[in-house]
Amino acid sequence: MALLKSFLILPRRCGLLLSSSSYWYYHYHSRSTFLVPPKIRITARPLSQQIQSVQRSKPLSTSLSSVSKYSTCSSDGNDFLRLSDQQLMDQCEMSTFKSSGPGGQHRNKRESAVRLKHLPTGTIAQAAEDRSQHKNRASALARLRTLLALKVRKNVDIDAYSPPQELLQILPAKSTIRGSDCGSQIGPNNPKFALGMQALLDLIFAVEGSISDAAKLLGLSTGALSRLILSDDSLRMAVNELRTSKGMKPLK
Amino acid sequence: MKLSFIRASSSSTLPIFLKWHKTPLSTNCRRPIFSSRISSTPTSSKPQIPLFLRPPTYSASFSELRKWQDWAQSLANSVGSTFVDSDNGPEASLLCRELKWLIEDAVEDHSLFPPMGTQNNDRPIRLRTSLEELYLLWKQRIEERKPFQYIVGCEHWRDLVLCVQEGVLIPRPETEMVVDLVAGAVSENEGLREGLWADLGTGSGAIAIGIGRILGSCGRVIATDLSPVAVMAASFNVQRYGLQGKIEVRQGSWFEPLKDVEGKLAGLVSNPPYIPSNHISGLQAEVGRHEPRLALDGGVNGMDYLLHLCNKVSSMLKPGGYFAFETNGEKQCKDLVEYLENDYEGSFCNVNIVSDFAGIQRFVTGFYRRAI
Repeated sequence: MALLKSFLILPRRCGLLLSSSSYWYYHYHSRSTFLVPPKIRITARPLSQQIQSVQRSKPLSTSLSSVSKYSTCSSDGNDFLRLSDQQLMDQCEMSTFKSSGPGGQHRNKRESAVRLKHLPTGTIAQAAEDRSQHKNRASALARLRTLLALKVRKNVDIDAYSPPQELLQILPAKSTIRGSDCGSQIGPNNPKFALGMQALLDLIFAVEGSISDAAKLLGLSTGALSRLILSDDSLRMAVNELRTSKGMKPLK
Repeated sequence: MKLSFIRASSSSTLPIFLKWHKTPLSTNCRRPIFSSRISSTPTSSKPQIPLFLRPPTYSASFSELRKWQDWAQSLANSVGSTFVDSDNGPEASLLCRELKWLIEDAVEDHSLFPPMGTQNNDRPIRLRTSLEELYLLWKQRIEERKPFQYIVGCEHWRDLVLCVQEGVLIPRPETEMVVDLVAGAVSENEGLREGLWADLGTGSGAIAIGIGRILGSCGRVIATDLSPVAVMAASFNVQRYGLQGKIEVRQGSWFEPLKDVEGKLAGLVSNPPYIPSNHISGLQAEVGRHEPRLALDGGVNGMDYLLHLCNKVSSMLKPGGYFAFETNGEKQCKDLVEYLENDYEGSFCNVNIVSDFAGIQRFVTGFYRRAI
């Protein structure tokens, strides 16, 4: 845990570090610096209106030792969505919302809301709708996976592009590059959708928001890919955010 | 799945539970005026069936139910921040959320209420209790400050829904973590996973059931409580989760019912009463007025039972055995650790203080000697 806490480093520093790996992050809050790979320049606007729970981690002073710890971990630890629930939870700081007073037996206010802060990225997910803290924790974790899929971008080499299996699984059956071994199409309600959505966003960011370019690489018509994007609210909003920032029309 | 068991068995106990609700209410009176004390303490020796498990044998029209909801909502809103100001109780927004949960438990088919669109407004909505009772229940919630969990008869705790009633401590979210602590201790230790555990002062049986579900196939739990109502509620909950073969509920004070397993326990956990006596009168009304003092009052400095547990834990655990106790906070945690280290020097190892989700030092854990 102490090691993970050392990940809370200044974004600028974070960017310098991460540019050496194939990952880059951007943060959705207005104050934040957007970090982009050298090839693609975007000025994405904050997504904070749609993802209310996201906010940037508060900057902590960092030291050389924590920097080296980060780079050691970043070589194998950045595929957050592939982690098990427990592993992902281990990377999070969990807190309940109101902690005034002594708590425990003193208190009966049914504040079962849960707030998870993913320390490596500063992503925050929360859930309050359920009656048990345990269930809220599960909802917050599922929400965190979606947020990470929307937030963490991987560089994609367009010239040698081959879609990963997770992405193939969320494509409709009519895709010409989708083999029959992919099984039936995975929809937005399936927990595995987040992984495919992440890979799809990686591609769409790499082709700078062009749906027709992305569709070609996925063996789909532009219309079919648009329908897939529109089938999930958070995916649609992430794509439209990018397109708007590039002066393109949003998908409807 | 497991609910079907209880639905089948609930019919036999239902009439007893409903008996005390048959207050002489005029049926056409929507907002009956009550005396200062609305509810009486049930003396039934059978467990109360929580609202969500009762059969939907009542019904009301949409507009009747809507009228009740509007009334309940405005009653909740009229509270504003007065409860918060007086004793750090719930604010109106929290009460409105509880009202939503009450509807969830009382209405058979939530898709009908509140309805989508305006169709089916004349269709009767099936309820698990009468409309009159719903008025009474919400009055009790607001005017008597009766805890919401006693109103609906259950508390959602971890992934469990535990039945509670007056006389049984409502399990707290903080306590959910005791199960996680035990899960950590047993994960790499087969001796603990397949061993005999005890949960002292089990109340609703929450910790015992939580632990019972993570132990191995040979693991067993004995849950004890002095209060007959708690023993009844815990037994009911154990049965509801089909754990009769794994968890035994015994009535008695602390270690008294455990004489036959002295020195044989793999683990011992407890959330004993730990509130200092002079704090009881200042408690939030839901807690102080309604929850059992027996489960809250820990004596002058709140440490009476925690110390009692510490004094006996070494004679109950086998070498390598694990313990976890919930406390009132940082001071009690530190005092307890100091006590164990001074008065029982060398008896325990890896004695730790663990914070709850709100960051308050809440639990003391450790092992009796080293694992052999």
